[in-house]
Formats: sequence, structure tokens, C-alpha cells
Amino acid sequence: MENNTMIKITNLSKTFGGLCAVQDFNGELDEKQIVGIIGPNGAGKTTILNTISGIYKPTTGTIMYKDRDIVGMKPCDINRLGIARTYQNINLFKEMTVIETIKTAYSWRATYNVLGAMFSLPRVHKFEKDIQERSMRWLERVGLEDHADQIAQSLPYGMQRRVEIARALATEPDVLLLDEPGAGINHSEIQDLVDLIKGLYEELELSIILIDHRMDVIMKLCNWIYVQDFGKSIAQGTPEQIQNDPIVIKAYLGEEDINA
Amino acid sequence: MEFRLVLQQIINGLSLGAIYSLIAVGFAMIFNILKFSNFAHGGVLGFSAYAGFLAATKLGLPLFPVILVGMLTGAVTAIIIEFIAFRWIRKRNGQLVYFFVTSITMLMLLQQILIIYFGKAFDYYPITLIKTKVVHLGELTIATNYILTLIATVLAFSLLTWVLKKTKVGIAIRAASNDLVATGLMGINADFIVLATFAVSGMLGGLSGVLYGLSASLTPQIGQIVVKGFIASVLGGLGSLTGVAIAAFALGLIEVFLIATIGSGLSPVVIFFIMVVFLLVRPQGVAGQSFVDKA
Amino acid sequence: MAYYLTVSTSIAIVLISVMGTHLLTGMNGMFSLGQAAFMGLGAYTASILVVTFGVPFPIAVVASILVTLVVAYFVGFATLRIRQDFFALALFGFGQAMIGLFTELVQLTGGAHGFTNIPRITTPTLAFVSLAVVIFIVWSIRRSHFGRDSLAIRGNDMAAKSSGIDIFKHRMVIFMISSAFAAYAGVLLAFYNRYIDSNSFGWMISVTWIIIVFFGGRDSLIGTLLGGVILLVLPEVLRFASEWRITLYCITILFIINVMPKGLFGSIKLPKFVKQLFTKKQQEAE
Repeated sequence: MENNTMIKITNLSKTFGGLCAVQDFNGELDEKQIVGIIGPNGAGKTTILNTISGIYKPTTGTIMYKDRDIVGMKPCDINRLGIARTYQNINLFKEMTVIETIKTAYSWRATYNVLGAMFSLPRVHKFEKDIQERSMRWLERVGLEDHADQIAQSLPYGMQRRVEIARALATEPDVLLLDEPGAGINHSEIQDLVDLIKGLYEELELSIILIDHRMDVIMKLCNWIYVQDFGKSIAQGTPEQIQNDPIVIKAYLGEEDINA
Repeated sequence: MEFRLVLQQIINGLSLGAIYSLIAVGFAMIFNILKFSNFAHGGVLGFSAYAGFLAATKLGLPLFPVILVGMLTGAVTAIIIEFIAFRWIRKRNGQLVYFFVTSITMLMLLQQILIIYFGKAFDYYPITLIKTKVVHLGELTIATNYILTLIATVLAFSLLTWVLKKTKVGIAIRAASNDLVATGLMGINADFIVLATFAVSGMLGGLSGVLYGLSASLTPQIGQIVVKGFIASVLGGLGSLTGVAIAAFALGLIEVFLIATIGSGLSPVVIFFIMVVFLLVRPQGVAGQSFVDKA
Repeated sequence: MAYYLTVSTSIAIVLISVMGTHLLTGMNGMFSLGQAAFMGLGAYTASILVVTFGVPFPIAVVASILVTLVVAYFVGFATLRIRQDFFALALFGFGQAMIGLFTELVQLTGGAHGFTNIPRITTPTLAFVSLAVVIFIVWSIRRSHFGRDSLAIRGNDMAAKSSGIDIFKHRMVIFMISSAFAAYAGVLLAFYNRYIDSNSFGWMISVTWIIIVFFGGRDSLIGTLLGGVILLVLPEVLRFASEWRITLYCITILFIINVMPKGLFGSIKLPKFVKQLFTKKQQEAE
């Protein structure tokens, strides 16, 4: 059974001035796959995500999304093509309520133009009502329907994460990039998060690239894992292979512990 | 004959550029620390120029005390501005637009105070301040004013460079220009550094105000030349004080040339176009670094 | 009586420009000192067309707005992708450049001496109805995705981008609408006061509008309007000389931004029952 390749990254490098954040990364995300990228801090994981979503322009390399090179495209256009993401430092909109935050994902799909907006044409009301319903359904899906009218940033951290995930999903993507969704989540809530991601993955038939430090999150979710260290790719494989790979262990724990 | 005229204009332009560079560097210092453009610097300029004027006319002080009065007024005014307009917003992590609103408002307010107190008419520094009107260098007749401006600017920048490189406060200011938060975490009182920066910036502004008043006339609207400092900062590259200073000199020369050719009415139009071209083609300026946002 | 009518008509005209600033600077955080220059552009274009070329007033109005939209498009194209500081500087430069043009093209504009003998065509009715329409337009925009996107971009532009919002396009739309409002207000002004000169469209006027928006409530439509009425009426009532008026504005806004950054009426929204009145009507209409 041949799965389509959603994202194919070839020879990706990104340097900032003198610092090489990512060096010659090659990777693939197949349809309905969950791929993980792990590595110690500063390994370049977020940089890879940022180049895919268009926030950074790669220094060299190509990023193919469904047979289309998306290097150089604007972040908004990349999102419109079907790639959505969440952020390591939760990037919610200041002073906006939860439901309004979700609705912004639908802005570019508006069925009215600025003239319609200026004169409150009936189609405006119709569209707004439509996305109100659709946004509420996303909130129900992540369990936040009771908090729709609260200011998003006033919620506890774990809920803010879910708002971000719901916002990303509301853009109705094929590919989801999750940047450390487990960061700041305490131990008791981690399983809920894993279940949520797994459930969404299956229900929506998403393809996911996942970065995290929490090994339990990575091992439970990913089919394939890339390991980065100081910008270089040092290993890749299934969760079992990675767990036992001495190179990976050395990168995380340092040399002495191997011999201990 | 033509050549002599051109040379006169060049000196004129350099002198104007010197004043612009003092303004620009003072402006850029605040930008480097607080990451926003302080329009209120124009108010510092204006107040200092008039303070010097009062010192010269009401108190009859000679040239150098007048300059000192200007610089002191500049420092004090700048510190007051920081307290009223920026401190509380900074503490609240306010959005950029709030800083713009308060800084332009301070500029307007200070300008209005000058209008109310001095009226809208022109004032002039007493001509007795500078003993010799002109200096003859060969075929050239140079107003002493210009020479004074150039010398004062060079001295001020030398002093500034020494302060920034050799004194504790100066080094702290440079560190804060790089990263204010980190500097604070290092145990240096960030609020104090900000104040010190405003004080230094204010002294530069005060000097430029007095020099401008000496070479031209005084009106309450004098503060608006702070925009030249802003333009020079853009052209030279925010983050590099040297680049900013050089760009300001260039701007002075360009402006003198434009006024001589197309007049003072249309030169803002040309300067606007030059600026737009720079903003589109090289927004980091000639010497500056580009800012990359971290995700 | 005539005095009150004159004052309130003038205030209504200014409020039209203020509505533009509410969209641009209040809701979108774009700091432009050049909006008054668009008012001048509208005023001069219409005056020149009507007085010098005998064009009928309605056509002149449309032409002024079109000219302004074109100019705003080009200015926006050059300036809307850059940092906020540079945008502020560029728009200031634009304003100065426009004033330079207004002053220098004396044959056309009358320069600093002014353009006179403009017929009075603006009636109080026209001014108030225009203001009502403008308020309706701004209210509609706020309720649409444009309103949401303004807050989103302001709140976190990176997240807005990765949610599909084209920030440049959004800002261009807002900038053009805001400039068109200022231009239209300029037309009304010229044909009410019967006189315009190049000194009336400088950066200080733009700042006054910004002060009104932030005084009343940058995110509140009613707040901006109430704030505008207060700040514009008060000096008339208290008979301030114009120098003190500006001083008062400055001190007030410095106080408000430090103490009540959301503005005097910043947290006011239409009482729920009035809102329900509107939504009910819409539901019945379906």
C-alpha cells in the first residue's frame, strides 16, 4: 500500500549570520504518518518547523509539499495550502476570546469581500453564523466549549495549548506541525494530550510532524523519528530503533554515562 | 568662482550635517535601548535651544556657559520625558503604538509650551556670543558658526566614544542596547541605565539645539528637525551609531544641495522619495543589521 | 443657534476623519502622521475640480476619493511591509511631501495664501448623514472578519500569518479605507468653510485625531465617538485659546495612556439588550 508523500525535505540548511542552526536535513512525511523530530536543545528542531511553515527562508534546500516547492512562499499562503502549526511558546492573540481566536482561522475563506464587509451585506451574516458553528464544533472537539467567550490568555496553560491546537485545526489542514505540545504540561495531563492528538489524528486523517522533549509523548505517537544534534541529523528510525541507538543516547546523555 | 560657491555650500552642508548627526545619535541611542523611535527628542532640542537663548539674553552669559546650559537642560528634559511618557508603559510591556502616541504628544506639548511662552515669532541668539563673525581661509569666507559647530560635534562624539568604551555606565549602556532584559538580569539596574541613556541623549540633543539656534533662527517649531535624525537613523542603520552619524552628515549635504537646486518647498518631496527607496531596498540601512524575529 | 450648527457640523466632519484613524491606528495599531495629508488631498482635488474646472460637485467628490485611493495604494505598497517605526517615519515624510506640493503648486492650489471662493455646498444635513454612513461602515467592518483580523494581527502577527491571514493585504485595505474617509472629510470641509490652505493638513492635525481615538477608547467605536465629542466640544464651551487647547489634549492623553490605556470609554460596549435588538431583527429578516 503506497502512501503519498506529503512533505519531502531535501538538503535543508539554515544559517543565521555565523550560526548554522540546521545543516543538510533530509526528511519525509508520508500521508497519515506521525513523524517525530527530537534532539537536545539548540538542535535545530524548531528551525526546521519554521522553514516548513515559511517563517524562515532556508539558506539552501527544497521543501516539497505535495509535489510543490514551498520554499519562499509566505506563511499565510503555506497555511492556505494546507499546513498548520502550533508554537512552542504559546502564540495566542492578546485580548481575544477563545471563540474569536478559532474564527480567525476562517478569515481567508470569507465568502464576502471588503465591500460586503463595509455594508453588512446578508452574506456577511450568513458566513459569520456558519463559522460560529464550525468554530464551536472545534472547541467541543478539544473540550473547551464552555470557555468559548473567555479571554484565551486567561485560561490555564493546558487549555491555552488546546486553543492553539483547535485554531490550527480550524484552518482545516492536511499537515499539522506540533512544536513541543507537551511543554509546560504537567505529568497527569500528558496522557490526555497524547490521547487528544491520537484521536484527532485518526478522526481527521492528518499527517503530523511532532517535536517534543517528552519521550513518552514521542514514543507513543510517532511511527518514525529523526534525531538532531547541533543542527545535524544523527539518526533516524522507528521508536524502538531510536531508543536503543547508542549515538542517540550519547547525544542526550553524554559520553561518560555510556560507560557507567 | 563656481568652485568657491560649491565649497561654501559643502561647508554649510557639513555644518548642518554635524547638527543632524548630534540629533541622530541621540535619537539612535534611545532606539537601541528601548527599541522605539522617540519623537519627543525634538522637545529636548527645542527646550535646550530656548534655555540657551534665555541664558544668553536674560543672564548675559558668554558662549561656553550657554552651551553648557543647553546641554544640562537637554539632559533634564530628556529625563522628565522618560518619566512622564515612557516609564509606565514600559513597565506594562505596552504595545509599540502607545510609545508613538506618547512621544509625539510630548513633542507637541513641549512645542506648545514654547509657543505659549515665547510666541510664534522668530528669536535670535545675540550676535555678541561669537566674537568673530567670519574666518578667512585663503579665498574662502567661512562663518565662525560653522567651524564652531564642527569642532563641537567632533568633541562631543569623541567624548561619547570614550564614555561608551571606557566608563562603567557607558559599557552598561552598550550592553543594554544589545539586550536590556539580559543586562537587567546581570544585576545592573535597568531603570538606571535607561535614565543614563536619556541623560546622555539629552545632552547631545541640547548641544544640537544650541548649535542650531546659533546658526539659524529660533522658533518653537525647531523641534521638528528631530525627523532629520530619524531619517538619518534609517539611512545609516539602526544599531550602528557610527553609521547613523555618517548618514546624518550625508543628509545635511544632500539637503543643502536640494535647497540650492529645487528650493526648500520641494526638497521634502525628494527626501521622501529617497527615504522610501531606502526603506524598500535596504531597510536595515547602510551599516545596520536586519532584525529577524524568533518564532 | 447658527453658531451651534456651525460648530456641530465642523465636529461631524472631523469625526469622519477620526473614524478612519480609529480603524487605522486604534484597531490596527498603525501609527500614521500623514492622514491629514489625505484630507488635504481630497480637499484640494475637489476644490480645484469644481472651482477651476467647473466639474459638478458629485463627480468631484467621487474623483477626489478615487485619486486618494490610488495615492494611498502606492504609498501603502511602499510602506506597509516595513517595521512600524519606519512606517511612522515614512507616513510623516509623505505628509510633509504633500504639504510641500500643496504649497509649491501655487498656480493650482493657491499655496500658503489659500484657495478661496469655494462655494458652500456642504450642508449640516450632508455632514451628519455622511457621518452616520461612515459610522455604519466602521461598525460593519468591526463585525466582519476584518475587525477580528485587526485584533489578531495586533495581538500576535506571527500567529495571524500562520493562520492564513495576509497581513499586507489586510493593512492595505484598512489604510485605503481610512485615507478615503479623511479625503471625504476634506471635501466636506473645503465646501463648508469655503477656504483651505496648505497649513491645515499637517502632522499635528493627524496627531489630534490619534489623541481623540486613544482618549475615547481605541477599540471602542462609541468610545472614540464620545471621546471625540468631548475633546472637540470642550474647548468651544470653555472658550480656550487654540494654544491651550492643544496643551490640554496633550496632558489629557498622557494621563489617559498611563492610567487608563484602554481609553476613557474603552471597556464600554453597547448594552446587551440593544445588541439583541439588532441581532433579533436580523434573525427575523431571514
